[in-house]
Amino acid sequence: MPAGALVGLLGPNGAGKTTTMLLLATLLAPTRGRAALFGHDVTRERRRAREALGLVFQEPSVDGLLTVRENLAFALALAGLADGGAGGRIDAALAASGLARFAGQQARTLSGGWRRLLDIVRATLHGPRLLILDEPTVGLDPEHRDAMWHLLDAERRARGTTVLFSTHYLEEAADADRVVLLAAGRVVADGAPAELAAEVGTLVAEVDGPGAARVAEALDAAGATVIARTARGVRLGLRAGGERLAEVATPERGVTRLVVRAPSLDDAYLLHTQAARAEGAA
Amino acid sequence: MSALVVVRGIVVRDARRWLRQGSRLAAGLGRPFLWVLFVGLGFQGIARVDEGIPYSAYAYPGGIAMGVLFGGMLTAISTVYDREFGMLRLMLASPAGTLPVLAGRTLSAALVGTLQGLVVLAAAPLAMPVGPAQLAAGALAVVAGALASAALGLLVASRLTSVENFGGVINVVLFPMLFLSGALAPLDRMPAAFRVAALANPVTYLLDLLRHALGQRAAFGVATDLLALALAFALAFGGAALLFDPERRFLRR
Repeated sequence: MPAGALVGLLGPNGAGKTTTMLLLATLLAPTRGRAALFGHDVTRERRRAREALGLVFQEPSVDGLLTVRENLAFALALAGLADGGAGGRIDAALAASGLARFAGQQARTLSGGWRRLLDIVRATLHGPRLLILDEPTVGLDPEHRDAMWHLLDAERRARGTTVLFSTHYLEEAADADRVVLLAAGRVVADGAPAELAAEVGTLVAEVDGPGAARVAEALDAAGATVIARTARGVRLGLRAGGERLAEVATPERGVTRLVVRAPSLDDAYLLHTQAARAEGAA
Repeated sequence: MSALVVVRGIVVRDARRWLRQGSRLAAGLGRPFLWVLFVGLGFQGIARVDEGIPYSAYAYPGGIAMGVLFGGMLTAISTVYDREFGMLRLMLASPAGTLPVLAGRTLSAALVGTLQGLVVLAAAPLAMPVGPAQLAAGALAVVAGALASAALGLLVASRLTSVENFGGVINVVLFPMLFLSGALAPLDRMPAAFRVAALANPVTYLLDLLRHALGQRAAFGVATDLLALALAFALAFGGAALLFDPERRFLRR
């Protein structure tokens, strides 16, 4: 991962996103293989790896009985940075995040959104080179989600912090520099969101209706890939054969709805996770 | 150096939390006085010990031990709250590692146990004739007991995964430790099985140490008591350090 990059970790529930993050966070020893952060092995050089890390877990790690400022002071202490200009660092972070007006308030009185922002500030306060966030936007309203990404962008620009995050919201991952797709504990795709989308095809056709399966068969020869089968129909990735589609996907052949559009990360996600699931079942 | 910063940070945080939980504070201080009142004065009429002292004076060190044991152990066991809310994972992932985190928590829990024990000890002159020298010796016993209790609490917390078990631990661990220590009745009057259990119980030695300090008849020597408490501390802290190490154990929360 290049410095300052935004990397998204995607995959269905149980794919191994949290496990991957715990491994990198040195909180879980790998049963096989190895992992390193900035050249430091996460099991043999835990201390060095940890010094480079900022962690945000699924539930905010914030002490409700401490004030906002005390929470940040505690985070600095955990990083071994209690002395020397700590007040200045905390004040700057409070101002930049908009948390300054809550500084003296106990964290339990904050709304979920503000608590998450405090959690992010807490994780970045010591200036980590890598920030790991496990589904940071779960349960956040759009306003706080925006504020959170803004905060992370500022951190990346100012300090070149690399950000690794997991999410189920694909539109968030579409903004990432790189996306790693996990399924059943394996990396099934890895690349820039646009690259991954392009792998699906040049066009995507959503074909609904009882005749959808036959349309897929008819287009198989023309090089169409089935991205996903849904309850309503199929989603096809096309490289060519757009003309053929117009011929076979007609109401007479049992097609009730046809949408043709540019491929998205969503399609790449479905293609790879469904393929992995089919493999697992077989 | 940075390890000391971590230890201090944890102690400061715990102290703040402790001071802000009024009901826990009141319960921690109230419980030992209930013991002194209900057990000490309550059994006064029917219980006799051949120690040449009234039963209320005999039971009093039990109240002090209760303050120390419950204060130290419960504060340390509250680490399970940190596990439940993800704070523990954060602490263990700090660059300083597991040991300073556990040392900080042990210290803050021992502080709570010491304070609770000292409050009960300070009221001892109301129940028995004791002078400043005896109170000072008692204070040292309280500190030793609080350190051992804190480490034991940490050991329990390392195996506890949910706060729902908290009440069970009080009933299954803390009360038996207190009852099997000679707090209620002299050890030599107990059934043999209880006596054996009492010998393996660190609280027995804390209580014995308190009896030494307060001028009551004790079962062991001061050196034996101190050694036993030091051993309990070392074993419990060492065990906790192994069990909390994230590399050896999956952190569920």
